[in-house]
Amino acid sequence: MSRRLFLAAFEREEDALGATQASREYGFRIVDVYAPYAVHGMERAMRLQPSRLPWVCFLLGLIGATFKVWFEYWTTWIDWPLNVGSKPWDSLPAFVPVTFEVMVLLAGVSTVFAFFLVCRLIPGKKPTLPIAGITDNRFLLVLEETDAAFDPHRVRRLFEEFNAVQVEERVEETR
Amino acid sequence: MAVIYSVLRQPLIEGDKSLAQVTEDVCSAVASRPTRMWWTAFLTAFTVLLMGTAAVSYQLATGIGTWGLNKTVGWAFDITNFVFWIGIGHAGTLISAILFLLRQKWRTSVNRSAEAMTLFAVMCAGLFPVIHMGRPWLAHWMFPYPNTRGTLWINFRSPLVWDAFAIFTYFTISLTFWYVGLIPDLATLRDLCQSGLRRWLYGFFSLGWDGSYRTWQRYETVCTLLAGLATPLVVSVHTIVSWDFATAIIPGWHTTIFPPYFVAGAIFSGMAMVLTLMIIVRKVMRLEKYITPRHVDAMCKIVAATSGMVGLAYATEFFTAVYSRNPYEEFVFLNRALGPLAWGYWIMVTCNVLIPHLLWLKKLRANLAVVFAISIFVDIGMWFERFIIIVTSLERDFLPSSWAGYAPTAIEVATLVGSVGLFFTCFLLFCRFLPVIAIAEVKGVLSYGKNTQGVHS
Amino acid sequence: MSERRPIVRETTLEAFQKNPSAGNERPEREKEDLWPADHPYTGRRWGMVIDLTACTGCSACIIACQAENNVPVVGKDEVRRRRELHWIRLDRYYSGAGDDVDVVQQPMLCQQCENAPCETVCPVLATVHSEEGLNEQVYNRCVGTRYCANNCPYKVRRFNWFDYPRDDRLQNLALNPDVTVRSRGIMEKCTFCVQRIQEAKIEAKRRGEKLADGAVQPACQQSCPAQAIIFGDLNDPKSRVAQLAASGRYYRVLEEINVRPAVGYLTVVRNRVKG
Repeated sequence: MSRRLFLAAFEREEDALGATQASREYGFRIVDVYAPYAVHGMERAMRLQPSRLPWVCFLLGLIGATFKVWFEYWTTWIDWPLNVGSKPWDSLPAFVPVTFEVMVLLAGVSTVFAFFLVCRLIPGKKPTLPIAGITDNRFLLVLEETDAAFDPHRVRRLFEEFNAVQVEERVEETR
Repeated sequence: MAVIYSVLRQPLIEGDKSLAQVTEDVCSAVASRPTRMWWTAFLTAFTVLLMGTAAVSYQLATGIGTWGLNKTVGWAFDITNFVFWIGIGHAGTLISAILFLLRQKWRTSVNRSAEAMTLFAVMCAGLFPVIHMGRPWLAHWMFPYPNTRGTLWINFRSPLVWDAFAIFTYFTISLTFWYVGLIPDLATLRDLCQSGLRRWLYGFFSLGWDGSYRTWQRYETVCTLLAGLATPLVVSVHTIVSWDFATAIIPGWHTTIFPPYFVAGAIFSGMAMVLTLMIIVRKVMRLEKYITPRHVDAMCKIVAATSGMVGLAYATEFFTAVYSRNPYEEFVFLNRALGPLAWGYWIMVTCNVLIPHLLWLKKLRANLAVVFAISIFVDIGMWFERFIIIVTSLERDFLPSSWAGYAPTAIEVATLVGSVGLFFTCFLLFCRFLPVIAIAEVKGVLSYGKNTQGVHS
Repeated sequence: MSERRPIVRETTLEAFQKNPSAGNERPEREKEDLWPADHPYTGRRWGMVIDLTACTGCSACIIACQAENNVPVVGKDEVRRRRELHWIRLDRYYSGAGDDVDVVQQPMLCQQCENAPCETVCPVLATVHSEEGLNEQVYNRCVGTRYCANNCPYKVRRFNWFDYPRDDRLQNLALNPDVTVRSRGIMEKCTFCVQRIQEAKIEAKRRGEKLADGAVQPACQQSCPAQAIIFGDLNDPKSRVAQLAASGRYYRVLEEINVRPAVGYLTVVRNRVKG
């Protein structure tokens, strides 16, 4: 299966943002936008769904905290109870610092791992940059030519209004 | 196309840089051969590090007796250095995380270096709890793992255990936050490099980053989450470190003011260290347009504000001691100001409370030489603060019969200096191989304060 | 001794005869606890009372303790650096001025506190509390952070700064085989001669008898020529130590910090002739 892609490269973030918004208005299907940095407002322009990573963070933080506080009670009160300075068995105030730290640790590390997994960022992975300069100073808008009504010339003129520096059509083999 | 500069909001990056210029300015230090200045600094720091390593090796082989400690003063340079380095680390996290959440865009020029500083400071700090132990080869006993001794777990009520978990968490989260922030910049470097080992290494660690906005969106979410996690971490880690003292019962340590006092002090000392480093980096690496006097100005204000907090804490401690009519408490504070270590106490007060308030004067904030000097004074003063807190309370506590003096040995001084060497060695390597400024973030704020006409909306 | 730090307390015979609590008029009450009392002493509770009037400051207790517990000799230089390892020490306090100075010798040793500040802060559980009231130091477990010594208000904990030389095989014949020899990096302190306590308990059990009061004598008590040190079971109302602990002269050092030491002192009563 292959699909036809329409690429437009821009030099400035305002142009890329404007072009993306215009594409949405015209009903084009946006495959992706590439940028050298996070542009304020781009995800709204692209109408991206908010990420669900905060749930991962919250959930694993909760699991970490619960496990840790249980572990502290179990080791101190049940497994091998020792009289340490006549402190009471239920030393919850003393257990709080470690619980908090483990919660933060688990929440943070798991969020990052989830992020790598979802975005398929793997050490040593070969990057596939559609055009050169994306990590330097080029923004790229990639549209899919979904139906026959898609008129490349009209689209090309539209993007010239946004100062597109490079416009091309490509055929991509999808796996 | 005309560019209009805002009157109210000055551009963060001077010189009207383009995106490509930003890439080039920051990456040129990494791409080109190291300068003679870099080599001199690096070799000096490395030599100092080697000297420190020799001192520590001798101490580990022979015993804690090679230090100046005795039966009354069990902690002095070792824990002072530990708290000092951890405190320095906190400013980096403040800049990356807290200022991120507060949407302070000026942080983008300094946050990469500040976070790197945090990592190296935490590394230096983490050495001291290990080497200060009488039997450091058993340091792993601080962590609860199943074993054949019972299972013998650990004492979760002990502040040193809280420390172990806190430092571990802080280092891991800082490293994670720093690395995640680096990924887009590593991709930039990867695409700049022609070929060879460097390109392969940058490629390996950039995880195949391709600038896709779907990834950017999740990336921003992750950064926000990590910033949200790192913020309470700044407060909690140094609170836990302060509890090493606050939960003890000896006068001068047993006080509830320590957590906020230590956190304010950490931010104070850390921000001073950031200033020290940034003033050098901007000059040497020719990044004056990125780390502008406006950035220095903002950091100076933080230093002045936290200096006020620390000064207030000193006064509160003193007031509490006098108001309590507790003879032991009163004595400790009189002893600090007038006893054998009074010289250290007054250095501390001068450097931490008197000198930094000069930074309220705008003219002095704009004079970078003055700011640099003040930052060095603060670094020294904050080291003395920890030293005075630890040693005066130990030297003269409840029973006068056990009062004893303390003087450091050459080994301890060499260890402290060696840790400074370690810090600078790591930082110089960082400057050589990684971008000292967060390229992607700075590009994101280039348009701050500018309005370009002729944009079709 | 200053009123502000009432570490030693003294009175005169005259005052004492009128009021058995003379000189001891600041009896601090044992405070109410916020926390539940999870650790009651249902069986024995070892305790010690030291009579400051009887103590002459001869230091026999120090030497006996060193011999019994294999306490290392650190040498002159280390003593000058305040690193001697004596588990019991004699603190000297002066009162009066000029030619009319009085001295009080106070033997200070591990007070075996019920609410021991040292136990709470040890990260690796190297110091814990026994069910009979002893503050136990576990040599094998200690990693030498020295936090316990810092937190001890009486500063009775001792650290092995070096591997003290034990190469002399002849000298080593004098070591007590019942007590571990500590390596460098380990904390040690008075154990109430726990090896003697254990030996007496085992012997009594073997015989099928109850452990009698006075059957266990730590080395310091055994060697004291003035019999100023009394050791026994505080929970046994008939034991000598319990009776002394109930007397008007009994007080504990630093009572107000509520560490509840098991070691108490008896006030000095001076027989001064007027005029």
